[in-house]
Amino acid sequence: MLKTKTWVAALVALAAVLAVLALALRHARAPGTVVEVVQDGVVLRTIDLARVTEAYSFTVTSADGGSNVVLVEPGRIRVSSADCPDQICVQRGWLSDQAAPVVCLPHRLALRLRGETAADAVAG
Amino acid sequence: MTARRLLPLVLALCLLLAGCGARENSAAFYAMSTYMTIRAWDADDALLRRAEETVAELEQRLSVTREDSELAVLNRTGTVRLSADGAALLRRALALCAATDGALDLSVYPVVRAWGFTTQDYRVPDAAELDALLARVDYTRVTLEDDGTVTVPAGMELDLGAVAKGWAGDRLAQLLRDGGVTSAILSLGGNVQTVGARPDGDAWNVAVRDPSGEGMLGVVRAADEAVVTSGGYERYFVDDAGVVRWHIMDPATGYPARSGLVSVTVVGAEGVVCDALSTALFVMGAERAEDYWRAHRDFECLLVTEDGALLLTPGLAARFTPADGLSYEVRVIADA
Amino acid sequence: MTKRLTRAALLTALALILFTVEAQLPRPIPIPGARLGLANIITVYAMFRLGPRDTLGILLARVFLGAVFAGAMMTLLFSLSGGLLCYAAMLVLRRILTDRQIWVCGVLGAVCHGLGQMLAALAVYRTAGLLAYLPALLLSCMAAGLFTGLCAQFLVARLKNAKGLSL
Repeated sequence: MLKTKTWVAALVALAAVLAVLALALRHARAPGTVVEVVQDGVVLRTIDLARVTEAYSFTVTSADGGSNVVLVEPGRIRVSSADCPDQICVQRGWLSDQAAPVVCLPHRLALRLRGETAADAVAG
Repeated sequence: MTARRLLPLVLALCLLLAGCGARENSAAFYAMSTYMTIRAWDADDALLRRAEETVAELEQRLSVTREDSELAVLNRTGTVRLSADGAALLRRALALCAATDGALDLSVYPVVRAWGFTTQDYRVPDAAELDALLARVDYTRVTLEDDGTVTVPAGMELDLGAVAKGWAGDRLAQLLRDGGVTSAILSLGGNVQTVGARPDGDAWNVAVRDPSGEGMLGVVRAADEAVVTSGGYERYFVDDAGVVRWHIMDPATGYPARSGLVSVTVVGAEGVVCDALSTALFVMGAERAEDYWRAHRDFECLLVTEDGALLLTPGLAARFTPADGLSYEVRVIADA
Repeated sequence: MTKRLTRAALLTALALILFTVEAQLPRPIPIPGARLGLANIITVYAMFRLGPRDTLGILLARVFLGAVFAGAMMTLLFSLSGGLLCYAAMLVLRRILTDRQIWVCGVLGAVCHGLGQMLAALAVYRTAGLLAYLPALLLSCMAAGLFTGLCAQFLVARLKNAKGLSL
């Protein structure tokens, strides 16, 4: 049986240690998990990959009739198929922890991570 | 009792205060055939809109593919009087062509077009066709008067694609600085331009794409500079014989530059210089690029070679963090 | 026996209500996994008033049914992981804490809950970067645990002498 005073002291100490650690690790926070699906500058959907429990797909149709199929799985997202000629968006693969968005230029579609990511920008 | 009632008010105040301090504003748009993003601190919407308009205007004036641009008129008629900004860009670009001894040549456009890179109708021109085209490639025959009038010989066509994004980056950075912004990072389709450092004082973390796959080579810490990468992997096609042909041409041969490099990243104060050099050094190859750096030293660079080596200038090595499990052999370029 | 079962069932229902209501509220802090954990008020109360066996039953029932009602089986893994670690901590704490120190159980139980969830997340997502969230997560758990622990302590005190209400 410990005195209440002891418990209070111990927990305050624990809180202080955690606070210091939390501040120190502020920058190291893992990449954000919120993804925005944007077309023509309009955010069509916002998906929190960390809360995705089962894989699902949806199709995005551009103003001129082009379509992209977006596949969402727990923790990751990608364009699984598209009818654009260059297929760059499909070849990019998963957008999970990269700083660069997955973009389909012909259909003006972009999948991008919101908030802090591991790098601030990607060259190349 | 009073204390209890004040508590929610205090909490609300805390939340409000947490929101104060430097505010991030951002914009994203399509221009110059690519996706561009701006993240700036203490920049209002009007400033960012002006930035977007600046790029659109630049593209309108200087894009070789726009029918009514100054460049298109030049290429059609052989001469044009450029706007002040256009003339300034052309002057810098020509100077860089000279400095790199023609490794960068603005007049290589007809060759690029012959290979199909402007229409995506890819083909391999034959030797005779390329010889004929090469006769029209020679930046030294471009004349630029003080008043901005530029003249090219018959058959020659100029393209500013190799320097346009870098130039746009410089213009936007200046626009933001004039608008009071001290912290911003711009991504113009793979050309990164930074204004100052991050709001918390740390340098920006700019990742460099790995030319071989999906990942990154590592992270470069940069502040108040541009980071530009050029690589064959950005635009290429595979011909009928199975040979990979990319969009970076060697102006001397008319063929895609195969100098042993797969990607070049240049870090420096000016975007237009980094943009130009990233193309020029790619054409030069590792050895000539290293000599060029030793002769000038006003930039840093990172070269990725075909045989798996990553060459860094000493200044860059100090602020480059390789990615975990990087399979390239990292070497620092010798100082002398 | 029936009285015991009824009591446990009633508390489970209460815990489920608290759980579902909380799920409808927007998340206050942007740290993954940080929640108020209101349902834990019931768990802590049960541990100090009913004993370990009944508490385990209530906890498991609430976790499984909660996952079914929320329609998300993935959260089951995280809830279970956090809940069991919390339960283990409370098993020890109930022996060394007095009725006026139940709030301590709330705090430490919540910390263990957060720890359990982080371990599950690490196993699932395999990203070491998640650990950077741990201190902030545990700190918020301590605050939430303090609140729920105090509530449970209050309940224990008030219901101990209440006549006709043998919860």
